[in-house]
Amino acid sequence: MNNVGDMMNDATDTQAESRADAPALAQDTLKMTARNVDVYYGDKQAIDNVSIDIGMENVTAFIGPSGCGKSTFLRCLNRMNDTIPIARVTGQIELDEKDIYDPAMDVVQLRARVGMVFQKPNPFPKSIFENVAYGPRIHGLATSKSELDEIVEKSLIRAGLFEEVKDRLHDSGTALSGGQQQRLCIARAIAVDPEVILMDEPCSALDPIATAKIEELINDLRGKYAIVIVTHNMQQAARVSQRTAFFHLGTLVEYGETSDLFTNPSQDRTKDYITGRYG
Amino acid sequence: MNTAIASSPDRQPTDWSADAMQRRIRARYRAEKRFRFYGLFAVLLSAGFLAFLLVTMISSGARGFTQTQIALPVNFPASDIFLEPSQLDGDDRDQLLAQTDFQGLARQSAIAAYGEDGPAFLSNGAWVLLRDAVSEDPSLLTRNETLWVPASTEVDFAARGDSGMRQSEERDTMSTRYAELEAADQVRRTLSWNFLTLADSSDPTLVGIWGALKGSLLTMTITLLLAFPIGVLTAVYLEEYAPENRWTDIIEVSINNLAAVPSIIFGLLGLAVFINVFYLPRSAAIVGGLTLALMTMPVIVIAGRNAIKSVPPSIRDAALGIGASPVQVLTHHVLPLSLPGILTGTIIGMSRALGETAPLLLIGMRAFVATPPGGFTDPATVLPVQIFLWSDELDPGFVEKTSAAIIVLLLFLLAMNGIAIWLRNKYEQRW
Amino acid sequence: MVIGFAVIAWFTARFRAARLRPLGGDRPHSLPGYHGWYVALWLAIPALLFLTVWSLFLPGLVEQSVLLDPAAQNLPASQIERTAILGEARALADGSLTAAFNEEAEALVPAYQEASGFYGVIGIIATLLLAFACGAYAFLRVRPDFRARNRVERVVMWVLLIASLIAILTTIGIVASLLFETIRFFERISIVEFIFGTHWNPQSTTFSDDPGSFGAIPLFWGTILIGAIIAMIVAIPLGLMSAVYLTQYAPAKVRSVMKPVLEILAGVPTVVYGYFAALTVAPAIRDFAVNVMGVSSASSESALAAGVVMGVMIIPFVSSMADDSLAAVPGAMRDGSLAMGATNSETIKRVLIPAALPGIVGGVLLAVSRAIGETMIVVMAAGLAANLTANPFESVTTVTVQIVQLLTGDQEFDSSKTLAAFALGLVLFIVTLLLNIIALGVVKRFREAYE
Repeated sequence: MNNVGDMMNDATDTQAESRADAPALAQDTLKMTARNVDVYYGDKQAIDNVSIDIGMENVTAFIGPSGCGKSTFLRCLNRMNDTIPIARVTGQIELDEKDIYDPAMDVVQLRARVGMVFQKPNPFPKSIFENVAYGPRIHGLATSKSELDEIVEKSLIRAGLFEEVKDRLHDSGTALSGGQQQRLCIARAIAVDPEVILMDEPCSALDPIATAKIEELINDLRGKYAIVIVTHNMQQAARVSQRTAFFHLGTLVEYGETSDLFTNPSQDRTKDYITGRYG
Repeated sequence: MNTAIASSPDRQPTDWSADAMQRRIRARYRAEKRFRFYGLFAVLLSAGFLAFLLVTMISSGARGFTQTQIALPVNFPASDIFLEPSQLDGDDRDQLLAQTDFQGLARQSAIAAYGEDGPAFLSNGAWVLLRDAVSEDPSLLTRNETLWVPASTEVDFAARGDSGMRQSEERDTMSTRYAELEAADQVRRTLSWNFLTLADSSDPTLVGIWGALKGSLLTMTITLLLAFPIGVLTAVYLEEYAPENRWTDIIEVSINNLAAVPSIIFGLLGLAVFINVFYLPRSAAIVGGLTLALMTMPVIVIAGRNAIKSVPPSIRDAALGIGASPVQVLTHHVLPLSLPGILTGTIIGMSRALGETAPLLLIGMRAFVATPPGGFTDPATVLPVQIFLWSDELDPGFVEKTSAAIIVLLLFLLAMNGIAIWLRNKYEQRW
Repeated sequence: MVIGFAVIAWFTARFRAARLRPLGGDRPHSLPGYHGWYVALWLAIPALLFLTVWSLFLPGLVEQSVLLDPAAQNLPASQIERTAILGEARALADGSLTAAFNEEAEALVPAYQEASGFYGVIGIIATLLLAFACGAYAFLRVRPDFRARNRVERVVMWVLLIASLIAILTTIGIVASLLFETIRFFERISIVEFIFGTHWNPQSTTFSDDPGSFGAIPLFWGTILIGAIIAMIVAIPLGLMSAVYLTQYAPAKVRSVMKPVLEILAGVPTVVYGYFAALTVAPAIRDFAVNVMGVSSASSESALAAGVVMGVMIIPFVSSMADDSLAAVPGAMRDGSLAMGATNSETIKRVLIPAALPGIVGGVLLAVSRAIGETMIVVMAAGLAANLTANPFESVTTVTVQIVQLLTGDQEFDSSKTLAAFALGLVLFIVTLLLNIIALGVVKRFREAYE
């Protein structure tokens, strides 16, 4: 891997303009940093030299047209790309200043600390309770049944689902509505007490009412977890995020305060996108 | 919502670097490795079974293609046979040969050459070879000639140092005798085509696979001639023309069920219907072929339907669009395009029929058939049944013959499946 | 011969139809080839139908006329002997026999040959007349405006329909033949005795039908012990773990090699497995039981040997069904679990296998139905003694073994023993059918759940 100086140079070269008006994150809120990340699927390069900082207190949104690499990059952050045999990641991604691609980094622990919510709700074909209890069980986070019950209850409360399902915790998770399923998946992610939650277009399969509920939930969760949300919906990014990154064709075009990026984009490509010229 | 969160105080953050947690993670990784190993073990064990089976069959069957022969000096002029070469020119030659006591001649010659226990060295059918040799070259009758004839099972076993199932003392004497014979160059092991050209016999040194192989070929011919057209026509009907009604449902259900019915049930059907109602001859290739055709047809129908289904509707629409009639669409486009798939399915169905034993046992194809069948109605047996019959023989000489027959059967199946795979790869089309 | 005429008809009609084209103003409705087919079909089908019917009646007619022959007057009165002699005469006449056993038969040969020659000639003449009449009728209809194509296509439709009815006929044939013989069996032996009796020894009932010898419980138990218990104990873990390894862990190269290798296991003929079980596995298991386990009652035809080998045969069925079921589980499930920090094995054990369970269970049911209907392995490696024992080292017998046992060898067709085989066949048929229907239902619902 390159030495740090080189990488910083590269990063400033390519993103000089976009970084200019984005105030650097304060060191104490910095949760994850990515430097010069390239991702290849076989011979095809999907991500080209992306460097980005993710803060603890923020909701960070990744926007961009479909196929721009935003989901691919998100999956790098908890090494879900490992599950695709042909995917190859180079560059450096750090969580709390530890390289997550370092051989010493345990992927199981990493994924427990960096949770993920997927595009389509994917509850396991088990009861609601078992869905939420799954993480704590495999990681051994509860020492007793009552502790487990408590974790499940708190996670469901925090995901705003408890009131709706408290009488049918042992019904199948797949019997819930789409929006409820997605909140169940969020509860499932929360149950292992992660530090970062990655959300990959969490509302794209949901109706507007369910979407509103999820957005409200994201707002509530902000501050307790560093949240990264991928969305193709610019309004959603504007509503829920504090910082926004615009991806296009595998590169990070612009990254800054959400309000700045939407009102005063520094790049033409960003402007074209948010004004609807393409996307 | 906010109130809900406020009412639930934060949990202690998980301390991932704590000792207990680290130990737990290490244990989880060990479990992971173990699980992965179980999987690998299961695959290797299954493959190991297959390898063991094949190695066992090949190592014991390879000998089935060889024959231990023993030199038998025959002094024809001095023998009890009063037969002149000139006598064999007439029309009654076969009868004369049949009346001559070649069996006694073989005995005498063996005693003369190897002493009192000489005849025990010869295969029971060795005299047939003497007869055939004379029949081929009558001038032998005037000479003193050494012929190589098949040795008995005991000699054969001694030749390979195998105990067989004989008593140990007997075996020891036999192996010493064999060593002597070998030293005198009076025995030899040769590759023998007899196994591929002869038919069944009660003497393991003289059995061959040709009779059963021919029976199999005749049976498979009937099966193919019936199952292929009926199967393809049914597949075409169901896939292209069948209206959505109850009849079609019944046909589909019947086919799916037939594909899953145990093969022995087809044997019962063949016995009850073809033999007891239609009075077709028992043990004949025609009944076996009919029975196996009914068994194979559903396989062809299912494969055919899948092949036809995979022809995209756009091709049908294109042909119909330029005014082709449904039958023209079928014969000009759909069938040629789905033919590789249909053929692959047919070959797989046929290879299953070729290996099938149980239904044929029930319709009597387990008869002892010493002459290869000449036609579809002659008593016949087939390869797998022949294997079954030989496996029941007590004479240990049949063990290697059974394995050799298995090798032949497996080679046929391998060839058929190889063709199926080749067809599939060659014509596989992605739409 | 009829086919030959049909071919000629095809060409002439085609030629005539082709000649029509320049004469008429409009284009003919159908291509010449269709006219050819039309005439050829008209020529061949009625003639062939007649020929089939004729050949069904032919032996009867021939026999009638032979019996009128003076040489037939001194035939014995007994029906059986008469049939035997007639049969022999028939065989002599067509040359499949060379020497007669009964002299009477020899005397009948000329009559036979004469009669069959006579009726044969009549048949051929009638067939040809019919062929030409129908062919001529069709040929005269070859005109430019004649819709030969539509007619031909209607015939094709009928042919297709008839072909597909053969499947139904086969099913009806199976059910009818099994049911018919079974009912005759239950007229002699009570159904209760058959299904609930615990003593099976039909070989002892050569002369009298002792209902106490037809209790099939030991057979059912033996079938279950070998096919559903021992074979599955071998096949389920090995098949399932193989599928798990090949789908979840193995590199693509290993998978592409090992999957066909496992499928070879399913392609090996069962008689080979049977021989392998009897020759290699059974003695090994017996020695193991006697020397290591100290089970002195161990049989060389133990249930274990047959069951283990059958289990090996079943591995690919379980494995490919499990493979399909695991593949049908959406990848999102796997991702969801891995994203929580579960290891691969935790994901497989706690998410994938539970999610695929209906499909796997369906596959196992199919495998069981396959195993209990399997014949050769048990015929060759399991025993004949109907023991009611749970000791896998002892010999048990199965339904299929007994069917083969009862139906091979020479006995008259309607003895209780042969009928019992059909009753066993019916039980086997019903059970495998039920298992298949249940299994396919389970698998179907499982598939729909993830679509």
